[in-house]
Amino acid sequence: MLKYFKQLDSILRGDATRLPSLADGRIAIPVGGLSTVIILLAVFYGFCMGSFNLMQGLESRARDTYMQIVASGVKLPLLFFLTLAVTLPSLYVFNALVGSRLSVLSVLRLLVASTGVIVAVLASLGPIVVFFALSTPNYPFMILLNVAMCTVSGLLGLAFLLRTMHRLVLIQEALDCPRLAASPADAALQPGGSHVPAADASPSGALDQVGTFTSRKAVRVFRIWTIVFALVGAQMSWVLRPFVGNPNMEFTWFRARESNFFQAVIHTLGNLFGL
Amino acid sequence: MLIWADDTLRARPWVVAEGTTRRRLMQLWLLLVVFGLMYGAVMGSFGGVFGPRFLQVLYSALKVPLLLMATFALSLPSFFVVNTLFGLRDDWSGAIRALVATQAGLTIILSAFAPFTVLWYSSCANYRAAILFNAAMFGAASIVAQRLLRRFYAPLIARNRRHRLMLQGWLVIYAFVGIQMGWVLRPFIGSPDSPTQFFREGAWGNAYVKLAEIVMGLIGG
Repeated sequence: MLKYFKQLDSILRGDATRLPSLADGRIAIPVGGLSTVIILLAVFYGFCMGSFNLMQGLESRARDTYMQIVASGVKLPLLFFLTLAVTLPSLYVFNALVGSRLSVLSVLRLLVASTGVIVAVLASLGPIVVFFALSTPNYPFMILLNVAMCTVSGLLGLAFLLRTMHRLVLIQEALDCPRLAASPADAALQPGGSHVPAADASPSGALDQVGTFTSRKAVRVFRIWTIVFALVGAQMSWVLRPFVGNPNMEFTWFRARESNFFQAVIHTLGNLFGL
Repeated sequence: MLIWADDTLRARPWVVAEGTTRRRLMQLWLLLVVFGLMYGAVMGSFGGVFGPRFLQVLYSALKVPLLLMATFALSLPSFFVVNTLFGLRDDWSGAIRALVATQAGLTIILSAFAPFTVLWYSSCANYRAAILFNAAMFGAASIVAQRLLRRFYAPLIARNRRHRLMLQGWLVIYAFVGIQMGWVLRPFIGSPDSPTQFFREGAWGNAYVKLAEIVMGLIGG
């Protein structure tokens, strides 16, 4: 188990996505082990979210309260893996269209690694969420706090995804044209190359941009795709709601189909300010 | 002990740069607890210090270090993960020492303000004014402590400019959690009309929601 957490740590530190580690054009990340860690951390954050009803004076409905905690713990890992499943095909297709040679497995690993980053940040924010959940009687506030936490971790995860894809494209270019010894990608592969930013001389982080780009098209496609990923994640969270559990409603696993994530956030903001 | 406090205020090298991290952190935590207890005790002395009010003095004394340490503990995990993600893990011990040293510095500054509080209490018996005065003291001490924080963090920022961003993020999270923590741990001063207690009945609530209600109430008339 500790081994898997160490792998997540190496992803966070940026060791797993440094150029030499990516040299053969793929990421060496064990999908199975990392998924276990992702599930554990996601369940933890799910519990944090679901703990809201513990202090709301619902002693008469204690079963509902505990069911909500269990349900949130189950649904949060589900949220991440469903988002991954929905976005994997399109990422692979885009990837192939712009001429990158990443295999399905590599794309899967990339997505799992990014999910790992998201979940790690989210779980680290868990203690703050529990503290607010236990001391706040206000339902809209908790929803918005969770949306904010998820947004922060989602943005960091997507930044990681984008940077790693850039690096993979870079490697690909270096592998494709070995004759162009002076290509920026090739220089970036060698430590101390002229195009390598100073950050690379010292150990670079997972979010550092390495080298320069030659294929603008691929970059643009990936940028658009990360927006798709974020939208899918947000809407998936809407489908799987409730995560926090409205204290005035009976416990349900899922709610009826209605509205969408963004409308709901605006509506909740209105509720908070009593508009 | 006083020498440690003096060194912390002057940002001497041992505070954040020399010696083993564990030992230095113990020293800084000790400073934080001792000086925090000191200001807390003064803060709780509003309703008098004898008889049943003594308990309030004790509670308030305990709450100041508790407030700082609990806020720090809650904010720490995310700071750790984000620092790692931005490739700053190697400077982690330095960052932690700078943050703990700043909090220790904050309590030392607060203790230096304690005589003002005593003077205020002995000259004005209004409970609301006492709350406001303490809020002002905390505010002033935080602003002064910012200066200290910048000095402690300067070598880290010189090494990697990203530390500046991390520090700003830390301050946002710390303030966000700290304000709510302060709200939950009420009463710090203890109204002379109500019985002494560690937590106020029905004190659970959200500082931000209350604030929004007040603001909306003002706007809505």
